[in-house]
Amino acid sequence: MKKTILLTVLLATVIFAQVNVDATYSTLGAIAKKIGGDNVKVTILGSSKYDPHFIVPKPSLLSKLRRADLLIINGAGLELGWLPPLLRNANNPKIRNGANGLLDISHFVPMIDVPATVSRAFGDVHSQGNPHYTTDPHIVLIIARAIEKRLIEIDLDNAKAYQTNLINFTKKWQKYLKKYDADMQMCKTKKVVQYHQLFNYFLERYNIKSYGTIEPLPGISPSSKHTIWLINTIKDEKVKVILQDIYHEKRTAHFIADKTGARVALIPHDLGSLKDTGTLESFYNTIKEHLCR
Amino acid sequence: MKKSTLLSLLVVSSVFADAKLDLLQKQLNKQQMQIYALETKNTNQSASFSQNAYLPAIALILNMSAVARDVNNTAYEDLSIPGFIDYNPTNKNSKAELPFNKSRGFNLNYAEVAMHSAVDPYFDAFAIFHLHPHEFEIEEAYVQTRSLPYALRIKAGKFKSNFGRMNFKHQHSWHFDAQPIIYKALFGPDAISDAGIQLQWIAPTDTYIMTGIEALQGTNERSFGDKEINNLYVSYLKSSIDIGEDLSILGGISLAHGKNLTTHTTDVYGVDLTMREQLGAYSSLIWQSEYLQRNKKIDETTNKQGGFYTELIYRINRNYYCGVHYDAITKNDIDLQRYSANHINTDNLNRYLVKIDYKPFSMSRLRLSYSYDRTKVIAGERKNINTVMLSLNIAAGAHGAHNY
Ligand SMILES: [Zn+2]
Repeated sequence: MKKTILLTVLLATVIFAQVNVDATYSTLGAIAKKIGGDNVKVTILGSSKYDPHFIVPKPSLLSKLRRADLLIINGAGLELGWLPPLLRNANNPKIRNGANGLLDISHFVPMIDVPATVSRAFGDVHSQGNPHYTTDPHIVLIIARAIEKRLIEIDLDNAKAYQTNLINFTKKWQKYLKKYDADMQMCKTKKVVQYHQLFNYFLERYNIKSYGTIEPLPGISPSSKHTIWLINTIKDEKVKVILQDIYHEKRTAHFIADKTGARVALIPHDLGSLKDTGTLESFYNTIKEHLCR
Repeated sequence: MKKSTLLSLLVVSSVFADAKLDLLQKQLNKQQMQIYALETKNTNQSASFSQNAYLPAIALILNMSAVARDVNNTAYEDLSIPGFIDYNPTNKNSKAELPFNKSRGFNLNYAEVAMHSAVDPYFDAFAIFHLHPHEFEIEEAYVQTRSLPYALRIKAGKFKSNFGRMNFKHQHSWHFDAQPIIYKALFGPDAISDAGIQLQWIAPTDTYIMTGIEALQGTNERSFGDKEINNLYVSYLKSSIDIGEDLSILGGISLAHGKNLTTHTTDVYGVDLTMREQLGAYSSLIWQSEYLQRNKKIDETTNKQGGFYTELIYRINRNYYCGVHYDAITKNDIDLQRYSANHINTDNLNRYLVKIDYKPFSMSRLRLSYSYDRTKVIAGERKNINTVMLSLNIAAGAHGAHNY
């Protein structure tokens, strides 16, 4: 009796051996879940409540990385401030840089804002281009394809399932995008300012112009001189909306709003960073609603 | 002649018209591929973490300070910590090593050059050089495996041991510029840093469990230092749990077992506990404590000495941190007759530190600190030292990602 239970348990674990997929951020993880389905176990490393550039390198992340078969990273330098030492200390050759188990999505995304010259005199510039591409709902499909391809390479036995999942997801997402794009056509917001250049992919996609950032330089706290310049720009250009992410201080944005009459719109940067943004659809819907309201 | 050639060519071409069509199709495909390549050309093609193609990632760290202290410099250099650092005017070796913030006035502590690079798919290489005003020092230089199975990793070269919580950290990444008294007393400013080999393993569990063993040369003469053969073995077990999303706890136990200058055994035991609560995107509270005890056998007696430090760091916002730190020697079972004979009290050896950090940017840090040090004997009497210090640390070049 005991033996058969043990046997079935063993058999079950063999049959249902899932691919351990770690994703550095929640949007990437949600897409991985869509493609991987029941064949993968997805773990998110970075909390979407906080600044994605500075995830706390908790030791518990090491035990998550240690068991990963596939690590999906955003890339383009977004994880540079926290992931490299964790990766070195996780002792997992499957996901080391250069191995098949490390999937850098930025290698598949056309980068924007690639600086011609880089110096820290200009702040903590993203030297490889703007890494915040997950705010653009169209890039979801690029991410999905990249994940499908890599999952097939890693887990050939379930290739059929991954292909089917991708086809189904693509169909559904294209339908969603059609409606989304139509809604965005109606969006009255055409001019914005933002805190950090977090939403450029989204703004570029829908022809919304960003006139500046609240931080004077990337990674540098607001200064009064720069804030005055921004207030004047908002007045001159008749900017109506200030995009505020959830993790930076909000005082400066509200101060600017008071002085200019512009509206502060709280925009999620990653899945789950605001209430009721736990699915891909609700995440992108919230961006749209908060921006266009 | 020319005409006939042309004619035959035409005939041939009409005969192989189908083949030509295929060729055209192929060319079209090729063109499409080229268009696709052009379209994808502006995606990020660089390696994920490389900052400089194949050059090692290089960082330059500068550490300097302005110090006000109520002890003059010559007297301060001849300090004692009773039972641990016992200065003796007739023995130059009994002087404390004071590489950081030694002088009243201005100090350039060091320029550090740190490099790391993947050597090949199997090894990473690291080198950290300290350039002091009159000295070049290899702080660390080691290789580390990248692809061992079963979550094993081997490190070889000269490196800082993973003993305890503080030991592996470099001075500029400490929460306070001053080294915890117990570390300074047992090991000196470089702590356990030696040539040797290290093996670490992470358990395949949900809870983080890491264990490691190290075989080291044991050149640290404060606690070890047997010159005849490699003499130091270090082992440790570390574990961490998260309580909710924002509270993480890291604990560890460590043992260093070696032979001292008298070829007798020295054992150092350590326990450490760190709790970190994330209060917001740029706000956190860290409470870190560590207790070390040394049992050092000299001739027939085993001297038992120990102490702890505990510190609380509050990150207020993106730019400001503040912190308090307390050190105490709690065990000092050693012959202290040279002090008692001169009526020098050796009880209650402790120290208080407070600090404020201002970080205008993640790569630079200005730190104002005050220290009230009650662990020192100077010029034949117990002297409580007040120090106010302003220090500047900058890190240029490769992004040194933050350790926990
Ligand atoms: Zn950024």
